[in-house]
Amino acid sequence: MTRYFENGTGELVPDALAGFARAHADLVEYDPADGYVTARNTAPARTVGLLSGGGSGHEPLHAGYVGAGMLDAACPGRVFASPHNRQIFRASRAVAGPNGVLHIVKNYTGDRINFGIAAERLADAGIACGRVLVDDDLASDSEDIAAGRRGTGATVLVEKVLGGAADTGMGLDGLVGLGTAVAGRCRTLAVASAAHHAPVTGEPAFALPPGELEYGVGIHGERADRTRSQKQVGVLVEDMADALLGALRPGPDDPVVALVNGLGSVTSLELYGVFGELGRVLDARRVRLARHLVGNYVTALDMRGFSLTLMVADRAVLDFYDAPARTPAWQG
Amino acid sequence: MTTAAFDSTRTRDWMRRFTASVYATEAELTELDQRVGDGDFGTNLAAGVRAAGLLLDRPEAPAGSAEALGAVATAFLDEIGGTSGPLFGLLFQALSRAADGSDAGLTTGALAEGTAQGLAAIRRVGGAEPGDKTLVDALAPAAAALRAARDAPPAAALAAAADGAWQGVRDTASLTARRGRASYLGERVTGIPDPGAVGVALLFSAAAGTVRTLAPHLPGG
Repeated sequence: MTRYFENGTGELVPDALAGFARAHADLVEYDPADGYVTARNTAPARTVGLLSGGGSGHEPLHAGYVGAGMLDAACPGRVFASPHNRQIFRASRAVAGPNGVLHIVKNYTGDRINFGIAAERLADAGIACGRVLVDDDLASDSEDIAAGRRGTGATVLVEKVLGGAADTGMGLDGLVGLGTAVAGRCRTLAVASAAHHAPVTGEPAFALPPGELEYGVGIHGERADRTRSQKQVGVLVEDMADALLGALRPGPDDPVVALVNGLGSVTSLELYGVFGELGRVLDARRVRLARHLVGNYVTALDMRGFSLTLMVADRAVLDFYDAPARTPAWQG
Repeated sequence: MTTAAFDSTRTRDWMRRFTASVYATEAELTELDQRVGDGDFGTNLAAGVRAAGLLLDRPEAPAGSAEALGAVATAFLDEIGGTSGPLFGLLFQALSRAADGSDAGLTTGALAEGTAQGLAAIRRVGGAEPGDKTLVDALAPAAAALRAARDAPPAAALAAAADGAWQGVRDTASLTARRGRASYLGERVTGIPDPGAVGVALLFSAAAGTVRTLAPHLPGG
């Protein structure tokens, strides 16, 4: 028996999507042939279809955010692998509105290429297509990394804000501008005390000695550039929050949205503890914590870790964030 | 001198020649890609021409050059994994669009336009510059040669395009990769040509072969 409960190698993703679609049949539909999930309901005012996608293993991202007020479609790839351009092209065609379709893409080379190929096909087919690139991971913010910062936890915040904006009837250029600006005002840091296990081998992606943690880990088991000894979580969260605030530098009146995100196998007890510490640090730094999320939103299979995302908003962005949405993983 | 178009018959002949050259070199392409990439390029390109052939050889196969190239594009884009195969699909998509937009069919001018548009699309998607040791290093000189020869008969223009592409292949051997899978290997791949560039050169050699066979016998080449 392997570590993962599955029918066989390669079956994990399609089997899960079929079950997901049945569990949320009132909200989403799954096309098993073309491998994408679409929303059953969308606001009548929306003129641009919103689509995202990427490797599986980050559930509930992305399919969990398909539904009224957020995404019109999601294209899941195999575990940690980009979706094929065919999935993206066909899903985009299916959900494009009169003003086209917007791709929300996490910054990874494979995703950029496959979404890019789909965008070229859409242009050839006469369908307007724009892109918002999410690149919030502070740990990969280095001039030595030509590919740029990775896209991680902020993706769900960007998807929520753009969903709210799209429901006002905003056009493609407006959404691209808004999404790019919002993504640019988000930063994330992730830590792990144990790696995820690869579905095929059941082996951990990396080994950490007891008492150590990986500071700046990616959501596919990418090692951080440093390992540090575990301290009390309050000290850890304070270091992480200060690094994020140093990069974002919110003004005293800027509303800040915080996401305390579990990476797969951290308990709810721990996540709320982390949120308590984060709130304490933000209060001490006189940062205006306007909204918060605590839970598993963007995971990395069964990694024992969590990420902190801060988004510096303004009144308009907060209104879009607060707009109603109903998807399998977002209610409210 | 008139400039004869690459009509439907010639387009099909071009694709058959390309298919034959891909099958004949699949082992070498695989070997090259095992040294600079993940080793699947030969298999993927062969899968592309096989899928394209299935579409082109059906009884209800598309009639014109634009439709035939569009079917080839769809085969490469829809059916092939990896990155390079679908990028070839974008080149075929642009060639199809150029043939569709030209009243005289796939003339030298339309081939030049389609190749330039395909190159632009591939560069937008992958971000590769000439000199990054990718298929762009063969496609860019082919596009430049076609643009320079846009009023010449297809035989001369495509011979120049094929020469340019092969020169680009030879140039990739002296380059260190900055894009694509080979970029992780640094100096270790210097001396080895890029397999994607070889694939592009095979494509233009096949086109040159189609018109070289017919050119001496036809007015306008």
